[in-house]
Amino acid sequence: MGRVGGLFKWLLLVWMVVVIWAAFMWVPSAQGFKGESSRIVFFHVPTAWVATLAFLVSCVTSVMYLRRREPKDDIHAAVSAGLGMLFAVLATVTGAIFAKIMWGAYWNWDPRQTSITILLLIYAAYFALRSAVPDPEKRATLSAVYSILAFVTVPFLMFVVPRIYWSLHPDVLTNPDPNNRLDSAHIRVLMASLAGFTYLYAWLYTIGSRIEMIRFRRRQEVL
Amino acid sequence: MSDLTGIMVVTMIIWIGLFAYVYRLDRKVSHLED
Repeated sequence: MGRVGGLFKWLLLVWMVVVIWAAFMWVPSAQGFKGESSRIVFFHVPTAWVATLAFLVSCVTSVMYLRRREPKDDIHAAVSAGLGMLFAVLATVTGAIFAKIMWGAYWNWDPRQTSITILLLIYAAYFALRSAVPDPEKRATLSAVYSILAFVTVPFLMFVVPRIYWSLHPDVLTNPDPNNRLDSAHIRVLMASLAGFTYLYAWLYTIGSRIEMIRFRRRQEVL
Repeated sequence: MSDLTGIMVVTMIIWIGLFAYVYRLDRKVSHLED
C-alpha cells in the first residue's frame, strides 16, 4: 500500500463519517416523503449506482479478455460481477426498508423491485456457469460472453423497464414535481455519498483482484 | 437520544467496522504479495 493510496483510504473513512453525519443530522427531512424515509436515498442510490458500474466494468473486462485472452481480465470480470451482486443486494435491502416506510410493505412487486430481482438472477447464473465449467480457458471464454450478454439487460432493467410501467418508486432527481424532489443540500450529500461509495468499490475491486491473482499464481505453481 | 441519532450511531459503527475489516484485508494481501 503506497503512502498516497494509504492517505486516500483514511480520507475515505473521514469522508464517509461526514456523509453519514450529514445524511442524518445536517439535511432536513425531504418534502413528499413519510417520516425520515428520504434519508435512505443517500445510501440506496449510491449502492444501485455502484452495482451498475460494477456490471459495466465486468462487461468491459470481459470484452478485453475475448480480445487479449489474458487470465487477469477474466479475474477482473469475475471480481467486478461479484461486487455488482453485493451492491445490488444492498440496493434491494435499502429499497425494501424504504418501501416498508413509504408503502407499508417490504415487497410490492414494483417494476424496480421486479427488475432488480431479475438482474440478480441473471448474475447468479453467471457464477453458476463459472462453477460448472472446470477447464479455466473454456470457463473464462464462456463467462466473458455471458457477462457481455448479461450487461445488455442492465440499462433495460435498471432504466427503461421502471419508466415504461407505472411505478411507486420516486424519481428524486428529475421529477418535475418540486414537492417530490431533493433540494440542493440533499443533492450535495447524495453526490458526496456517490463519490465515497465509488471509491469504496474501486478499493474492494483492487483487493479482490489481487487476492484472485495470488490464487491464480499459486495454482500455476502447483501445476 | 432520538431514534435518528441512534440510527446514525449504528450506521457509523457499521461503516467503521467495515473500513477496519477492509483495511486489515488490504494489508494482509500486501504481505502475501511480498
